[in-house]
Amino acid sequence: MTNPKILGDDASLPPASTKGGWLNDLNRARTSGPFLAAHPAPGAGLSTTAVHAGTHDDPRTGAVGTPIYQASTFVLNEGQYRSVEDGFARDRFIYSRYGNPSQWAVQEKLAALEGAESAIVFSSGMAAITSTVLALMDKGAHVVASSDLYGGTFNLFNQEFPTLGMSCTMVDSYDFDAIEAAIQPNTQMLYFEAITNPLLKVIDIPRLAEIAKRRNVRLVVDATFAPPVAMRTLDHGVDVVIHSASKYLNGHSDLIAGVAAGQRKLIDMIWPRLLNYGGSLDPHACFLLERGLKTLAVRMRAHEESALALAEFLESHPRVQKVFYPFLTSHPDYDTASRLLKNGTGNVTFFIEGGDKAALRLVDALKIPKQATSLGGVESLISLPFNTSQATFTARQRADIGIDPGCVRLSVGIEDAADLIADFDQALTAIYPAKDTAHA
Amino acid sequence: MRNAIPTAALSEFVNEVAAAPEEAIMDYGLEVKWQSGTRAISETKPMKVGPHQVSRSFSWTSDEPRQLMGNNHGPNPQELLLSGLGSCMMVSFIAGATAEGIQLESVRIDFDATLDLRGFMGLATNSTVGFPEIRYQIHVTGDATAEEFAELHRKSVAHSPNAQTILNPVQLTGDIISTRIEN
Repeated sequence: MTNPKILGDDASLPPASTKGGWLNDLNRARTSGPFLAAHPAPGAGLSTTAVHAGTHDDPRTGAVGTPIYQASTFVLNEGQYRSVEDGFARDRFIYSRYGNPSQWAVQEKLAALEGAESAIVFSSGMAAITSTVLALMDKGAHVVASSDLYGGTFNLFNQEFPTLGMSCTMVDSYDFDAIEAAIQPNTQMLYFEAITNPLLKVIDIPRLAEIAKRRNVRLVVDATFAPPVAMRTLDHGVDVVIHSASKYLNGHSDLIAGVAAGQRKLIDMIWPRLLNYGGSLDPHACFLLERGLKTLAVRMRAHEESALALAEFLESHPRVQKVFYPFLTSHPDYDTASRLLKNGTGNVTFFIEGGDKAALRLVDALKIPKQATSLGGVESLISLPFNTSQATFTARQRADIGIDPGCVRLSVGIEDAADLIADFDQALTAIYPAKDTAHA
Repeated sequence: MRNAIPTAALSEFVNEVAAAPEEAIMDYGLEVKWQSGTRAISETKPMKVGPHQVSRSFSWTSDEPRQLMGNNHGPNPQELLLSGLGSCMMVSFIAGATAEGIQLESVRIDFDATLDLRGFMGLATNSTVGFPEIRYQIHVTGDATAEEFAELHRKSVAHSPNAQTILNPVQLTGDIISTRIEN
């Protein structure tokens, strides 16, 4: 009657009929995926993985690269109806809010990069965070999170949780005793960020994973500031890793996307929230993200090269008071960073003389970095916490979390280090009156 | 999804547990707090599903009818026992039907049980303190034959934890921690 061809992951089959049997006769076991087609490991290296994993040439024309499947819906056959009936609709193409080949391709690439069994892309990092957190929390549940969370996540925990009968305790991510003490009988999750914003604290994730395992709670980590290549977060015992893919993963500041990756069991629990909350990623955005990801490894190396050189220059500059870059030996978490990070990133945070007024003059005087929020793009981006990410805080509240006046948040792109250093040199010279000689 | 249960996920869980038995260990807890007279509040404690803590934020009131010195503010303990039994048999029946591919339209279990309170009161009698018998009828509509439903009934009772707890001897191990107050 209809096309018998499997339109989806052909390794995923319904459980065999168990007429007359019991639950122990069910024979479908969980596998990784879903996969668009055969998926031999392209190679062990992350650069090879970034280029090849999940990218499936068009089988009909031989066109190289995953085609853009710009379709909202799919022709249905008996197999897809069966997948709905038997509850494995995630493995078939039905409707693009549930899944689309363009999503699957980039999900496979992301899962391979993270070493995950499965991944889901979302229409934003916040959609990934909301769907993941609410999938792993129940009525009355509690989460222990770091006190310097990204503002969007803070708002979810602070504004939405009480409405949902959930609660959160925020603790200093350096204070492991306080983290343990905050775990209650109804705690279901530890939620932390791999590298914090803007002070770039590098969190000791293996230690958090040990606590989570011992105390029977899940560990979810937002690794937006530490993408694979810099760190494979799941390797350190994390249950689900989340990214705003708008940042390093895509790398070109031209789309908004998010991803959650981890064990298939957990990602399958998150998938119904993707359906219910509706944060699906458009196929064209999937294509852009997949293309961006192909250069992740080379971009990360370039970010590190320019960021480290610029951080060292800034640290030696008499007008600069403090510089935070995890690979500077002066960074408070240099040892943790050396242990956990396989590659640096582009984020550099520094404090200049003259407070926020001087910082404002600096961002105006610079020629290369764009004065914009966000991070992880090929172009350098610069912003000030006092009027962007922490604008709702008072000066005192900012100081309490280490954001002193004159704080500048910089995401170094992949421009040449020499050009960036020259630009910062001229800008730092231009913004201070000539007579006011610098004091070291 | 058949009977609103994802068969694939059920199958995957069964196969996961076969390889990792610790995932099948469920730790439950409940606290009953006396409120007034025969009225008490039951509150679920967080449970563990395999090695993972799960919040269980539920509570309910139990009471006796006025004729039994209560205020009739909630189901009584016998009704809650039948509820625990029946809802467990229901899960077992639905899961078993789903695994077999039986589409259900409606399922209702109708319970009746008679208790002789002379046992509770300590009056000399041959009657048991508890229920000597619990009677029920399962009313089901779905796409299976009468024989298939009869077999499903048998298997669902045989695999229902609460039915098996009632049918078999169980250790009831209790302590009392008391504080004397001077009047």
